[in-house]
Amino acid sequence: MTRLADSHLLRAAVLPVTLLVVWQLAVMLHTPSPRTPLPTHVVETAWTLLKTGDLPLALLQSFGRVLAGFAWAAAFGLVLGALMGTYRAFDRALDPLVESFRPIAPIALLPLAILWFGTGTPAAAFIVGYAAFFPMIVNTIHGVKSVDPQLVRAARTLGVGRFTILRTVVLPGAMPYVFVGARLALGVAWTSIIAAELAVGAKAGGGSTGGIGQMMFVFYAYSVDLNGIIVCMVSVGIVAMIIDRGLRRLEYWMLPWKR
Amino acid sequence: MKANAFNGKGMPAGARSDRSAVWPLLLSRKVADLAIYLRTMIIFLLVWQGASLWIGNPILLPTPIDVARSFVELAGSGELVSNMLASVWRLLLSFVIAAAVAIPLGFAMGLNRILFEMIDPTVELLRPISGIAWIPLGLFILGIGDALPTAIMFYGAFFPLLINTITAVRAVDRSYVNAARTLGVGEATVLRQVIVPAALPGILVGARLAAGAGWMSMVAAELIGAPSGLGFAVEWYRELLMTPKVLAFIVLIGLMGYLFDRVLRALQRGMTGWAEPRGVS
Repeated sequence: MTRLADSHLLRAAVLPVTLLVVWQLAVMLHTPSPRTPLPTHVVETAWTLLKTGDLPLALLQSFGRVLAGFAWAAAFGLVLGALMGTYRAFDRALDPLVESFRPIAPIALLPLAILWFGTGTPAAAFIVGYAAFFPMIVNTIHGVKSVDPQLVRAARTLGVGRFTILRTVVLPGAMPYVFVGARLALGVAWTSIIAAELAVGAKAGGGSTGGIGQMMFVFYAYSVDLNGIIVCMVSVGIVAMIIDRGLRRLEYWMLPWKR
Repeated sequence: MKANAFNGKGMPAGARSDRSAVWPLLLSRKVADLAIYLRTMIIFLLVWQGASLWIGNPILLPTPIDVARSFVELAGSGELVSNMLASVWRLLLSFVIAAAVAIPLGFAMGLNRILFEMIDPTVELLRPISGIAWIPLGLFILGIGDALPTAIMFYGAFFPLLINTITAVRAVDRSYVNAARTLGVGEATVLRQVIVPAALPGILVGARLAAGAGWMSMVAAELIGAPSGLGFAVEWYRELLMTPKVLAFIVLIGLMGYLFDRVLRALQRGMTGWAEPRGVS
């Protein structure tokens, strides 16, 4: 059993370790410029950024924006999605709008957001909210529509009120889809906050809007620190992974009947 | 005439007289759908028009008529088409490269457990790092030009394709493979005639997700580091404060995204209409 686990770990480690060693050796043997990133330097930079608190602060700022945008998207997406899933008239009237706006890449709206809100948090939160809205609403509609109508009819036969049916039958039935929507929405939101902050940084000339994307832009344009950029990339990946795993865990925990 | 009692679809003969009535019914439903669609869009445009008149600043919110006018103007000058072609060309190029790398790799990883165990952890480490996060490093390595958006798009499209291919190959029913082997079919033929067709629906779902993800990351890459393309044009006209043109390009980005999805859905239906499409995102 332990030997099996060992061989799994070994196989998993071979490729990343080989890549890192090749990278390190290739740079050390060539040394084209002192700026070329090295795995050891990346670790050093990461340690410094963690110690000074810059990296955690930037990640928290970005994550705060993601949550702000996501809260709006979730509120609108859930309410509209529940209405559109329940009432056919709502669905037919609003579906053209949803389907017309959905294919517009959220980042494409960034220039417009900068015009409307300037280069601060509201512009970034707008992009995040826009990006997160569509996975939320589409999955909520789908979830509400997929609730077994027999259950609703049974509840109605027993004389349960409309609102109680919504709360105790429809919403729990739609929850698995809502969770999928939330997980997708937070994933896109995290991706687009990086783009928004990068582009806002690029346009504002490294202002003090903060966030991890901004930090990357400063490393890119001002201090020209490739090691720092790689540290940012890795931490963006780690946060994305934590968001994904965390929501999966939450879903497992909150929806025991779906296990 | 017993055979005449049922038509090809197993409908009772009595339904035949109604069949002529079905077509007008379907048609009238289509007309009703179209009417509802138009009603929604007209209300939306009226609200937009009203809002822009109320704000009264064409730089912040131009009227839909202004946007339509600049759309026509940009289309007439060829600027719309040239930027669109630049973006579509990059999309196609990177999509083809991503498919050429990811699909064979996905087959290899789906069929060979040891290979899967060796490569999958690295894939799972890289996958959470979005393509957009690679843009600053990509700018250093590739510079501003065609290469950066193409590379970022390749990265964005690669993972949905790879993961859906692996999942699709692994989900192929073993009994089909065993049945073919029992009948003495060679390994290459099993791959070509059993595994590839069975895995195709999942791969096409991956392709649709990949096109969506790639399109989004490419607009971002063009916005930041490209001398042409739709993302570039949006940002260029923002800097010139020509908002009607910004919105015209945004409309075009939406239209193109919609068209790609439609084409890939049609492809999916045409090639694998028998299957219930399922994807991993």
